[in-house]
Amino acid sequence: MKKVFALAVVLSMIALAVAAAPKPVTITHWYWADNPKYSAVMKEMAADFNATNGKGITVVVQEYPWDGGGYSETLFRAAMGGGGPDTSSAKLTSTPLFVSNNLWENLDKYINRWKDKDQIDPALWKTMRDASRTKNVFLMPWTTQVLYVYYRPSMFKAAGISVPKNYAEFLDACAKLTKDTDGDGRTDVYGFGMRGFRGGHEPWGSFIQARGGTFADFTTAKAVAGMQDFIDLFKKGYVPPTAPMDGFNEIIANFKSGKTAMTVHHIGSSTGMIDTFGDDVDAFPFPGAEGKWTSMGDTENVMFRSSKNKDAAFEWLAYLAAGKGQITWCAATGNVPVSKAVQKLPQFQSSRFMKVSIEGAPFAGIYPVLDTTTEWISTIWPNTIAAALQGKISAAEAMKQLQTGLYK
Amino acid sequence: MKRSPAGAAKNLVSYLLLAGMLVFLLFPFYWTFVTSIKPESELYGKTVTYWPRKATFESYTRLFSDYNFIRPMTNSLIVAASTTLVSLTVSLLAAYSFSRFQFKGRKFLMTLFLTNNMFPTVLLLIPLYAIMRKLGILYTPFALILAYTTFTIPFSIWLLNGYLADLPPSLEEAAMVDGANRAQAFVRIVLPVLMPCIVATGAYVFMTSWNEYTFAVMFTNEANRTIPVSLKNLIGQLGVEWGMLTAGGIITIVPVCFMFFFAQKRLIEGLTAGAVKG
Amino acid sequence: MGRKRNPWPYLLVAPALLTVLTVVFIPVVNAVSMSFQSYDLRRPSRIGFIGLGNYAEVLSDPLFWQSVWKTVVWVGVGVGFQFLFGFILALLLNRRFFGRGIVRSISLIPWVTPGVLIGLMWRWIYDGSYGVLNDILLRLGIIRDYVPFLARGDTAFPAVILTIIWQGIPFFALMILAGLQGIPEELYDAADVDGANGVQKLFRITIPSLRNVIFVTTLLRIIWVSNSVDVIFNLTEGGPAYATQTLSVYVFNKGNSLNLGYAATMSILLALMLSSVAVVYLRRIFRNQEAAR
Repeated sequence: MKKVFALAVVLSMIALAVAAAPKPVTITHWYWADNPKYSAVMKEMAADFNATNGKGITVVVQEYPWDGGGYSETLFRAAMGGGGPDTSSAKLTSTPLFVSNNLWENLDKYINRWKDKDQIDPALWKTMRDASRTKNVFLMPWTTQVLYVYYRPSMFKAAGISVPKNYAEFLDACAKLTKDTDGDGRTDVYGFGMRGFRGGHEPWGSFIQARGGTFADFTTAKAVAGMQDFIDLFKKGYVPPTAPMDGFNEIIANFKSGKTAMTVHHIGSSTGMIDTFGDDVDAFPFPGAEGKWTSMGDTENVMFRSSKNKDAAFEWLAYLAAGKGQITWCAATGNVPVSKAVQKLPQFQSSRFMKVSIEGAPFAGIYPVLDTTTEWISTIWPNTIAAALQGKISAAEAMKQLQTGLYK
Repeated sequence: MKRSPAGAAKNLVSYLLLAGMLVFLLFPFYWTFVTSIKPESELYGKTVTYWPRKATFESYTRLFSDYNFIRPMTNSLIVAASTTLVSLTVSLLAAYSFSRFQFKGRKFLMTLFLTNNMFPTVLLLIPLYAIMRKLGILYTPFALILAYTTFTIPFSIWLLNGYLADLPPSLEEAAMVDGANRAQAFVRIVLPVLMPCIVATGAYVFMTSWNEYTFAVMFTNEANRTIPVSLKNLIGQLGVEWGMLTAGGIITIVPVCFMFFFAQKRLIEGLTAGAVKG
Repeated sequence: MGRKRNPWPYLLVAPALLTVLTVVFIPVVNAVSMSFQSYDLRRPSRIGFIGLGNYAEVLSDPLFWQSVWKTVVWVGVGVGFQFLFGFILALLLNRRFFGRGIVRSISLIPWVTPGVLIGLMWRWIYDGSYGVLNDILLRLGIIRDYVPFLARGDTAFPAVILTIIWQGIPFFALMILAGLQGIPEELYDAADVDGANGVQKLFRITIPSLRNVIFVTTLLRIIWVSNSVDVIFNLTEGGPAYATQTLSVYVFNKGNSLNLGYAATMSILLALMLSSVAVVYLRRIFRNQEAAR
């Protein structure tokens, strides 16, 4: 009898709870995972959100392969084919494609009534607006990463040099760190790990801008001079000969194996660096000369126009941008938080790599986000650079091709 | 068979040739395996080691405990096996028709099937996705089965037609003279002789659907992901999970080889069946 | 038999035809129509009919012509060696020896390996810093220093071709092996009586008996290899400096950039080129079949 009574109580409580809660809705969210750990963290965050949002929202996360950027195209094709998710992770560079095809929701009205909107730096909101070439925000900031130079203090010490304070010293360090350690006439350690394959445009941009060039016109004498520096590093053998095909995996592997003394990447790889080297790895912001620039990496979240539960979808985006999701994700991945309150948390202040990231933030920027940018990044840039490194075309010719490729 | 010194030398040459071929074909597989049991520090070591100094099977346990690799394997198996069954049945009917009847539009239809596979799939993805959605089979195994069937039918028809054309029609004609009808003659006489070719064509269909990525990433979600998509999930922006990726590769390859070991027995059975009846 | 047409041949073809048409008819018509439009999804406002504009643009694109040439080499050398080695392997696997079943199934491994993994593993084998190929060649004294195979313009293309040869041998081996089972033993016995040697038997009996299989498999393989993207894409993405960009990889890159009108135009030109090859084959195949009837 007791059991029946208890059951009745439980049932009526559930009934009450269901009646009180808003109509349950399900949100589908697509994302990619940069490694299996991130995949697990994403699933935990969704579970946490589902348990705590109190509004009957259930987020179902669907993982898709990053596929060297093919993620965006899969997402786009699904949305164009009438399907796709309610929300998804996205890159700034894909904004023109999705916005011009009316696939993403304009987030302005949701952001205006969002209590945490001031947690995001106004500059970041501006970047989001600029990317769409409208006055509207289509992307919710999630994380950023600032590129900087990783280096091996022990190798610097052995070469008798200190951390480069300017661009000339940096180029000089590339030369001095290149060594034939066992005296067999072959280079064993290269000064710099150059990324000539897809994704290499980010560190490359620092060379162009250090010389005073800009991305508005690649063909200026200053920009060409930066390109020439880049080619010279390769020609003189200060970078591995594999550079034209070296992507992320290769530059990190070369750095970790001690084959290169410096390389450019962001805080996302710092955990692995510390695992390998302990204290014998450090970083400095990419130095400048006439100009100074480093690339800001980014990941955002977006809402699709086809979503039937937009208010619920925004709750989830807000959770990721400034809620507990922001803390969990940035703590797990080591990325720079976009929420000011989260940035101030002690766990984000202690790392030496976070300090360098923040140091680089003032001169960190992005490439012009045009409808040609993704093609330029994935095929035009790597192939043009390879041709220039192999000596098939001159620096000036390469820059001309890059110019027409981006601004056609 | 005569046994002579020249014959023995010839045998030796052919075994050496076979051994050489096998080394070329199998070395990458061996290398995949070695990579899967090497700790990462050894992958990027100063010297290349041909057997790990310290072998670890951690990747294999992680693949199943953290990554639930059984699921994509099951999904792939369901999709590939169903596709093979459907595609073979449908293609066999069509190939028989093409090889045994002379009818109006025969050449046109055969050519039409051939052109089907001349078009790169990357262009067809958006409308295909829309079609699968309208059919209501998106994110179910049926979407992949339908897509793979479509893209394997043409080649299967052509392959089977090629084999059938090499079989003398007199085989079944003799049976039909004895009073069997066309269907009976086909099942009793042609099918057994054709078995090796059906196995080979089936292998083609199976491999194609087992390894396909582009459709798989579009038409599945996490519940029915196949092996290629799961493997690709291991390559993120922060590098390649060498251990799990290669371990996944090995685990993918081994069962298929095992299956083929049993299927290939049919290659010989077909021969004897043909010899008895022919 | 009256003049009434026999419905059976059509009924037997119908299921295959219906399946194929349901799935690809609309997408293919759609792709053909895109080739006559400015159809760049990055610029949807400009989508519209432009007649042969895409064709003019493609035909004056030097990268297109370079890719055509690369495709010819890729297919010619790739399929050529796949066939040669595949044929030899089939003959070897057709002999009786201990463990034949196991050898037959393990020699299929390249074909079983997912494309994603093929690209990655070969990239790893060719690696210019830690690659095993470099290590082997260095130990054998063939090279003096590590060669960045995939980063050099002159070695990248041969490297990807070697990979596709590796991948395609089992296909030919299996198909030809299956074909070999259909050759009546009596033919060889008769040749033995005539005192024919192995080579003579190969050219007088084996190859003629496999005529149809050889024609069909090479034709199918040509179509398949010329359209294959995943090996090249996972190895080099068409680089460095477009050294490994075949036409299908070019189409793939353009398709992923969502300039679909341009990609469709190139695809149609590729299909036309393939068709012209196919026509030669088809004539032979149809003639062979009529002769056999």
